[in-house]
Amino acid sequence: MTSSCSSERVSAGPGVSAVSKDVGLAALRRHIAALERRSPGAASPVDVSRPWRTGIEALDGALPADRGPEPASAGLALNGVHEAAGASPADRPAALAFLAALLVRLGRHGPVAVCQGPGSVARLGRLYGPGWRDLGADPADLVIVETRHERDALWAMEESLRSGAAATVLGETEQLAFVASRRLALAAREGGTPLLLLRGDGLAPASAAFSRWRVAAWPGSASPFDEAAPGLPRWHLELTRCRGGRPVTCIVEWNRETGHFDMAAALADRPAASRTAVRRPALERAAG
Amino acid sequence: MVLAAVNRQAEAGGLVSGMRLADARALLPRLATAGSRPEEDRRGLERLALWCHRFTPSSAVDGADGLLLDITGCAHLFGGEATMAVEVEARLAGLGFEARAGLADTPAAAWALARFGDEGRRIAEPRLTLTVLAPLPIEALRLAPEDSRLLRRLGLATVGAAEALPRAALARRFGRHSGAVLHRLDCAFGRRTDPVASLPPPPACLARLAFPEPLIDLAALEAALARLLDNLSASLERRRLGVRDLVLLFFRVDGGTARRRVSAARATRDGVHLGGLFAGKIETVDPGFGIDVAVLHAVRTEPLASEQYRLAADGLEGRGGSGELVRLIDRLQARLGKESVFRLEPVASHLPERAERRTDPDGKGAIRPAQPGLPQRPLRPFDRPEPVDAVAEVPDGPPALFTWRRVRRRIVRAEGPERIEPEWWAGGPEARPRDYYRVEDRDGRRYWLFRAGLYRDAGGKEPPRWYIHGLYG
Repeated sequence: MTSSCSSERVSAGPGVSAVSKDVGLAALRRHIAALERRSPGAASPVDVSRPWRTGIEALDGALPADRGPEPASAGLALNGVHEAAGASPADRPAALAFLAALLVRLGRHGPVAVCQGPGSVARLGRLYGPGWRDLGADPADLVIVETRHERDALWAMEESLRSGAAATVLGETEQLAFVASRRLALAAREGGTPLLLLRGDGLAPASAAFSRWRVAAWPGSASPFDEAAPGLPRWHLELTRCRGGRPVTCIVEWNRETGHFDMAAALADRPAASRTAVRRPALERAAG
Repeated sequence: MVLAAVNRQAEAGGLVSGMRLADARALLPRLATAGSRPEEDRRGLERLALWCHRFTPSSAVDGADGLLLDITGCAHLFGGEATMAVEVEARLAGLGFEARAGLADTPAAAWALARFGDEGRRIAEPRLTLTVLAPLPIEALRLAPEDSRLLRRLGLATVGAAEALPRAALARRFGRHSGAVLHRLDCAFGRRTDPVASLPPPPACLARLAFPEPLIDLAALEAALARLLDNLSASLERRRLGVRDLVLLFFRVDGGTARRRVSAARATRDGVHLGGLFAGKIETVDPGFGIDVAVLHAVRTEPLASEQYRLAADGLEGRGGSGELVRLIDRLQARLGKESVFRLEPVASHLPERAERRTDPDGKGAIRPAQPGLPQRPLRPFDRPEPVDAVAEVPDGPPALFTWRRVRRRIVRAEGPERIEPEWWAGGPEARPRDYYRVEDRDGRRYWLFRAGLYRDAGGKEPPRWYIHGLYG
């Protein structure tokens, strides 16, 4: 593929000035970028040029930048799997809320297929429209699939991804083998649909996901209207793996009214910093 | 005790059904008997009626020992009526049943021929019913026994004799019995529809495949299904119909029948989609010694204009186009069950657990009005609130500390209370008002707690209790 591309360029190349050589080089780069974007075999109906980012510089800088000619189009893959897990079992709701916030950030209208097995429903409750709305998402988009077996939930995710009928698929799994995660990644690419996957088994097992996030709840600020009341939800995010990107850690706040992440000011706060030192070993343990 | 049924050998020994057991034993001392189980006979007959779907889509149990098959438009598949009758008899004989087939324009005439017709003369050609039925004994009319006896005593021994009498004369002579006799005659000769024959209506469309060599393996069954779906789609297309309910029948050579049913949320004739609905259902079919006939019935159909289906699958219908989504929901429901896929619909209730209900996944979810000022709700409340041990600084104030799942959590921020009164028309007398608090502990985790009841109202009654109702992200 590469050879045919270069020969074509070379034939156009000889005898041109330095300026047009630069232009030719830029065109070549674009051409290669386009080739690399194209997945082998499957044609994706999704417009992959539209970026999917968090809106926070520190995070977006760590996301892959080679998805377009300009660094501004860096972002998460729209046809990939994005995994999140709580840093400890108690942080699982925070991980789910983070995925919901990512979904709002994507800003894609259309049905959201939610696939859950029996385990999470029994222990952590059912998805609730009012709570979904309070995070800034539209509960009218939800199509919920509750299965009687965990493996059926995986099947439902794969089926929803492949059909391309859902704008996004949100899945939850208690256990995921590498082969299964590979299947899901292929289905996501084939259907051109992103899968937001909440993992109950942490991020330790290998996976074919595009990005993997470890999420922990973080002490938030007070509500601006009431000193004693909790304010915006705040999470400690750790991007442990991202294809074409680099790992990064930061603390963000989710503003449901504006649908934006904000960098939490508390990073420089002394209490928060000292707590990081205390909690770090706990995070590692939970991940292991 | 009397004999309910006897086999050929016993008959040769002089036994007849209805004979007393003691008399039978006297005739044949070595008689082997088994208890009669009419319910099981009935069930067996019903299984056999289903098995007869291999010949026609419309078959039913008729009486205690008969099956009724409507073969209108089916006989040509078997090479004509005579060949078909022979095949039905031979197939049943292969299963170990001794059967006699009668074939006529009306169910009553067919009944008569099957039971009283002579060998080789059990088929009444169209419009020749009278000729064939005339020599049969009067019992062939399926009359009550006393009516038959009365007719015999009066010299009317054959159907032909009864039919030859003028109706008025018959009515005059037989008085109150004449009604039944005339009615049965009318049924036999098609002057009146027969209410005994309650056949299920045949499906609007069907496809059928017979295999010269019985199929054993799954791949062959899947291929057969694909061919059936192709044929069915073509005939649905011709008649501009779409199917909602589809029944697939596999007939085993040993007499068993496997039945699989799928439903589509919207009328369709897309063979690929319908094939997907059967995914996971074919695997459970037990082929036994092989499957020799497969039939696909379009049980419920709806008018469906011509449509270019395949284009939609290429994404031209748009992402989230309702057609693609409906098909996805069909596939999910076909495998996981209808109640596994749903949307959420808001309900006007202040009680959080009643503020929402499940609804059909087809179509668009309900629009929710924004409710500014209402305190935040968790993403996933618990199905049933779990009791916690909480300590509050003031009796009716927010908690300062609570223990849940054996972990003590110190609360640093709290919002509330949000007072929710029980619905007096729904809750029992034990329903108490709840005060909800949204609290945050030292690690930043947020919980949704409530206290059922108030300290100031308690006054000697049960003290208020604390519960956790959900977790915030």
